[in-house]
Amino acid sequence: MRYLPSAPSEDRALLDAIGVGRAEDLLQGIPAPLRLDRELDLPGQQSEQEVLQQMAALAAMNTQFHSRFLGAGAYDHFVPAAVDQMISRQEWFTAYTPYQPEISQGTLQHIFEYQTLTCDLTGLEVANASLYDGASACVETALMAVRLQKKRKTILISAGLHPHYQEALCTNITPHEGLQLVLVQLKDGVTDMDDLAAKLNGDVAAVMVGYPNFLGCVEDLKAISDAAHAAGALAVSVTQEALAFGWLEAPGKLGADMATGEAMSFGNKLNFGGPYLGFLAVKDSQKREIPGRVVGQTRDLDGQVGYVLTLTAREQHIRRDKATSNICSNQGLVALRANIFLQLAGPEGLKGLALQNVAKAQYLQARLLELPDFSAKFSAPFFNEFVTCYKGDMKTLQAECAKAGILPGLDLTPYAADLKNCILWCATELNSRAQIEQLVEVLARVPSLVGLAGVAK
Amino acid sequence: MTTRTREPLIFERSVAGKVGMDLPRLDVPAARDTRPAHLKRGEFKALPSVTEVDVIRHFTRLSHWNYGVDDGFYPLGSCTMKHNPRINEKVAALPGFADTHPLAPAAHVQGNLAVLYTLQEWLKEITGLPAVTLQPCAGAAGELTGVMLIRSYHVSKGAKRRVILLPDSAHGTNPATAAMAGYEVVVVASQADGTVSFEDVTGADGKVQKGLDTLLAELGQEVAGLMLTNPNTLGIFEYRIQDISEALHKVGALLYMDGANMNALVGVARPGDFGVDVMHLNLHKTFSTPHGGGGPGSGPVACTMELEPFLPRPVVVRDTAKVGEGGVAQHSYRLDWDRPLSIGKVHAFFGNFGIVVRAMTYCFSHGGDGLKAATLRAIVNANYIRKELAGVYHMEYQTPTLHEVVLDDSEMANDVHTLDVAKGLIDRGFHPPTIYFPAIVHGALMIEPTESESKEEMDEFIAAMKDIALQAAENPESLHQAPVLVGMRRLDETMAARKPVLRWT
Repeated sequence: MRYLPSAPSEDRALLDAIGVGRAEDLLQGIPAPLRLDRELDLPGQQSEQEVLQQMAALAAMNTQFHSRFLGAGAYDHFVPAAVDQMISRQEWFTAYTPYQPEISQGTLQHIFEYQTLTCDLTGLEVANASLYDGASACVETALMAVRLQKKRKTILISAGLHPHYQEALCTNITPHEGLQLVLVQLKDGVTDMDDLAAKLNGDVAAVMVGYPNFLGCVEDLKAISDAAHAAGALAVSVTQEALAFGWLEAPGKLGADMATGEAMSFGNKLNFGGPYLGFLAVKDSQKREIPGRVVGQTRDLDGQVGYVLTLTAREQHIRRDKATSNICSNQGLVALRANIFLQLAGPEGLKGLALQNVAKAQYLQARLLELPDFSAKFSAPFFNEFVTCYKGDMKTLQAECAKAGILPGLDLTPYAADLKNCILWCATELNSRAQIEQLVEVLARVPSLVGLAGVAK
Repeated sequence: MTTRTREPLIFERSVAGKVGMDLPRLDVPAARDTRPAHLKRGEFKALPSVTEVDVIRHFTRLSHWNYGVDDGFYPLGSCTMKHNPRINEKVAALPGFADTHPLAPAAHVQGNLAVLYTLQEWLKEITGLPAVTLQPCAGAAGELTGVMLIRSYHVSKGAKRRVILLPDSAHGTNPATAAMAGYEVVVVASQADGTVSFEDVTGADGKVQKGLDTLLAELGQEVAGLMLTNPNTLGIFEYRIQDISEALHKVGALLYMDGANMNALVGVARPGDFGVDVMHLNLHKTFSTPHGGGGPGSGPVACTMELEPFLPRPVVVRDTAKVGEGGVAQHSYRLDWDRPLSIGKVHAFFGNFGIVVRAMTYCFSHGGDGLKAATLRAIVNANYIRKELAGVYHMEYQTPTLHEVVLDDSEMANDVHTLDVAKGLIDRGFHPPTIYFPAIVHGALMIEPTESESKEEMDEFIAAMKDIALQAAENPESLHQAPVLVGMRRLDETMAARKPVLRWT
């Protein structure tokens, strides 16, 4: 086995030194009846060549779409070669949590820079080293808000939050007796301010709102923050497409007390949904309640500037059941991807890229709305996603697109009663004009229900 | 290599006008500005204006100050810092996997669903438990999922119960997890051999710590479950685990196994065979996926059929149809969302799928026989180090150990402590072991060599440890000052926490 340092002479030398005849003799600590008395029923060892063939065959079972118009929390963006090349250095990807700062300054300084950039994007003051993904970041943020708000036990969540984030919140808040999640309805694709006002009261710890939301609509975060604050609640911005920060004002500048969400858009492939990157930024006054790793600047014995894991009194390995979270391993290498990506992009690149996304989405929308079966669902401004109503048959549309090698937008029918036959479209810098034209061409060929009904008559 | 002692923060290298990313030519009309005025993005204060050259040099220089598994011996106990096979990375990067969207219809992601299904099946065989979810993104997330399964199980029986028991040797994530799942934590005593005690234990300070029998008698049906790491954080197999399981089951409580140390058991013993109801695995430990400087990991959960209905949704299902004349079995995969008793989603989509692909590749490479061989070698390696160093460093528990060994500083000369030993190892070219954990051993040095280490590599480490013990007697100041050879000396953690500087301004 190519990874095991096994050789007859070496194995013998080790066993002799230990004073046992065979390796199995070292299992004496496991009572014999508890040991497995047979070999594992798994495939046998394989060469690298064979492994690659088998895994590549599995990969080939997936459809390779040459153009994709699906986002909904997982965004298709270009990944600069420098990102993949750099994270492939063993110093980054084979190391672990920087427990020994003197030999982990690379990772520590990177995290310090990542924290700085997260604060810059969100307009807030303190960021952590990452959380698992957008969904669990929402959970951690909600629990943190409740800790900060002491006696308040209700979390209002806008129905515009990503459905998976909503569900993860529900999964994780349920065990906490006394806490409750209350949904605020949408109106024309954005949080209904009247419903929000009706549900805000002295028990509300925080209001969580998508920015932009799951339906692609840009919420008025300022108005929502103001409403939350007037009731003594914290305003939490949840962003599932972090590239929008290149186009939309930073949540902190609009009154949000905490900004969280998903930043996979910075330097990651789709990867079938993970590993992705949960982020969290908060106000300075809240820093001792933040979950996860945090890196701080300090000096060594010679006075040199260096970095260490800090505020560890919040964490599970010190505080155990009183910790701010149980999180230990987070998404370190994905945060490194984001850091490299953001440094490459810089302020002009990020704004330019964001603007291209807006342009592509606007063009896609304009072209779709020229087709008789498509109409706009909402009127709010959007970043790179928007919803259309569709009068045709969804299954036929999906089949025709697939035949043409296109992955269309998300059928929203299963997500809400008033979204029946609606489609959530996404366009990014990766969608060329030619792709959009081809999509429109294919869609134009799909017979509409109206047309079919006509034939039936 | 770099001889520089300092790489400035990238922000200090920023020069307005420089770019590191050229954008493609826009082939559609320019965007109309639809934003309300107050939502227009303001200026960035930190995002740097630098070139690709600057960025590549910056991260290359920073990387030189990290120590990775490929640099050498990395015996960080409990973290299983084994070799990260490169084929795993290559496979995960195949466009067939990397370019797939998590919300694409199931018919178009059959390969991905086959990966999820197959690894689940293999993990069932490895753990001896009949149900698996791959959704949790790391060990702690797996623990939380597992404890929430326990909670839902009890709720389905009438009441969630109040208490989770765990031994004093437990990882910090265990009590933190129990609290996050809404449980109170009660600690069970360890006995003299380092395993869970059924009887009460009187400590050196005269305090009595309650054993499992007392706690179960007192708390009875208040106990939801016990979280137990096995082998425990001392590397000792909890040899009475079946009795523990039976005692718990008698009061209707369940046994959770923290699988952080599963590298000692794969192919050798299966938790499902000794009474475990639910457990998590760490794909980034046992199954070789890279640790990434702190993730991403993956923490699958395996459980009994009693707990299966509560697993996070969706669940990957395989349908088999017989086709053609010969009745050849043809498989297709789908996602089952209709799981009324599910605890719900714990992450968006399917968790860290890319890590699952790597772990499956690792299993393919080893096969069942190779996985067992790896386990045995990991145990041999730990016992070799134990044998060579047991006379040099104090060892609190003499019980046989499996994949790791815990030494301590209690017999070190001249006020030399575990921290000094760790820093002395850094100067000698090694990553230190896990230190000051488990807390039940004062000044613990928790050494886990893994199966990746050759005798030669271990001999160098053993020589370094012996040299440190010698220096402690002869030249303790050299250890108090260490490290002095890596460009950074000991850092002031107190100052960092007292006056936190958490970003560049």
